[in-house]
Amino acid sequence: MKINYEFSDFKIYMRDWIGTFRGKLTVLCLIGLILIPLTGNEYIIGIFNTFMIFTIFAASWDFLAGFVGQVSFGHAIFLGIAGYTTAFTIRFLNFPWWLALVLGAVIAVLFGLIIGVPALRLKGPYLALGTLAMSLILYQLFLMGSLAILWENTFPGTIMFGTDGIGQIPPISQEAGISYLVIFLIMVTSLIVLTHLAKSKLGTIFKSIRDDETGAKASGINTTKYKILAFMISGFFAGIAGGLYTIRLTGVNPGSFQALYSFYAIIMASVGGIATISGSALGAFIFVFLGEILRLLGDNPSISDLLGGFTEPIFIFSVILILIIRFAEHGLLKPVLEHLQDLWDLLLGR
Amino acid sequence: MKNLTKKFAGLTAVNDMSFEIHRGEFVGLIGPNGAGKTTIFNLISGIEKPTSGTIRFDGRDITGMSTHKIVNLGLVRTFQLVRSFKFMTLLDNINVSCLSPRGKTIAKDYGIDEYSSTILASVGLIDKARLPPVILPHGDLRKLQIGKALGTNPQLLLLDEPFSGLSHEEAVSITELIRSLHSDGVTVFVTGHVLRELMGLVPRVIAMHQGKFIADGPPKEVANNKIVLEAYLGRGGEFART
Repeated sequence: MKINYEFSDFKIYMRDWIGTFRGKLTVLCLIGLILIPLTGNEYIIGIFNTFMIFTIFAASWDFLAGFVGQVSFGHAIFLGIAGYTTAFTIRFLNFPWWLALVLGAVIAVLFGLIIGVPALRLKGPYLALGTLAMSLILYQLFLMGSLAILWENTFPGTIMFGTDGIGQIPPISQEAGISYLVIFLIMVTSLIVLTHLAKSKLGTIFKSIRDDETGAKASGINTTKYKILAFMISGFFAGIAGGLYTIRLTGVNPGSFQALYSFYAIIMASVGGIATISGSALGAFIFVFLGEILRLLGDNPSISDLLGGFTEPIFIFSVILILIIRFAEHGLLKPVLEHLQDLWDLLLGR
Repeated sequence: MKNLTKKFAGLTAVNDMSFEIHRGEFVGLIGPNGAGKTTIFNLISGIEKPTSGTIRFDGRDITGMSTHKIVNLGLVRTFQLVRSFKFMTLLDNINVSCLSPRGKTIAKDYGIDEYSSTILASVGLIDKARLPPVILPHGDLRKLQIGKALGTNPQLLLLDEPFSGLSHEEAVSITELIRSLHSDGVTVFVTGHVLRELMGLVPRVIAMHQGKFIADGPPKEVANNKIVLEAYLGRGGEFART
């Protein structure tokens, strides 16, 4: 297949895109995001970092579920394995952060392959259960004390398994603003690449598998090959998110493999809108900031006495997810965009 | 030269069937509902694996081969129950076939989208290229099925009940489409459970009943075959005649 892009084509494409309401809004949001470090408030910068990392994570899940129809309940596998790889290579092998990040993503791709091959014999709910089970197995493996002792005896001075995980991971840069911009650039690149893949001819093949797998085979498509490829692409970006998350939290522990993280990805992508990629950003934004507000409420003794467990983020988000499935099954991105556009037109007096 | 022979045994759906179709032929497969026509198509196209027996295509043993490999050899089928990629445009529906290894060898010289467009035009759906299949009438979906098969550049095309559920006008346009494909050099093997549909179309029909071969020959001969009449009308039919 020949792909020849000319810069002038790109310029025309960009001009058309900026001309749309959606393009303008995206640019506005990106400018807003880029200005966050100017606040100089480490707490706010930190929350936005988490939001951007979760956006990548949710988008990687959305790519696999929304465009290839492969619903994974074990996306935490990629988050965890890349997190461990990144942490281990930075702490014990003195890798620079970017190399550790890439290596983490590559290992996640390998896991995508390892999981993909047996898991792809499973369909629908069985695939979901299979991936969930695999993440639980990895969680238990990394938690195991005997493995931790075995590892420490084999490779003295290094840690891999055990409840404490790997800590003392330095940030990308001592300057919080620079770390922030690095994460920002990685997020924007990831979203552009994923959106572009979904729109490409490769994306056409992926979508055909989602819509009718037998039909795709009858059209001469080797569906197994493409499903594994999709698992690897999704694993790569989930792995990037895992590595960044580890650096952001200055460490990693077996908790990264918990099913909870897989559900976070599902909640964020579904709230934003499945098969939208950019909806993941909206979903992650709501998830992270509402989660933070709920946490603050929960920390306030008078409020938490009054509301008890109702401020638990997972409780609220489960309720929100049920409401979204009932009232806006395609997620919030489309309705939000439409309403903002109406508001915009109203303000301009159109 | 193409030799397509197959034998199945021990299976109730298809019982020890053997026949050959030659390159460039236009053959019908008839039989009452439940005769095993679709099962035969499923076996040839690799969707189901035969219990025993072999299937050969173009001199090559394709028994038990996976569907996409068989398609890429040039043996392509459509489905009795229309299948489409529901949430993709018609153009993208055809694009999938053009992106298969076999489809790509031809399509890439024209450009994938351009080649798909010519196929859409040839099945008469070009003005709906940007629409998704969910909103199309049944007749258009049948045309889309054929278009999807054409994207892979088939050598032998298996059409499973291409007329079922169509109005008279729709059936006529599909008939013309299939005729033109055959005159373009595609070998066509088509099923139908109503004799009349196929009689005027194909020069040769194979009849089967309850998984068994019963007749093979020109439509008129087969239509007057005693066992065929019995299969369609029951024993009473035979008594009524004698």
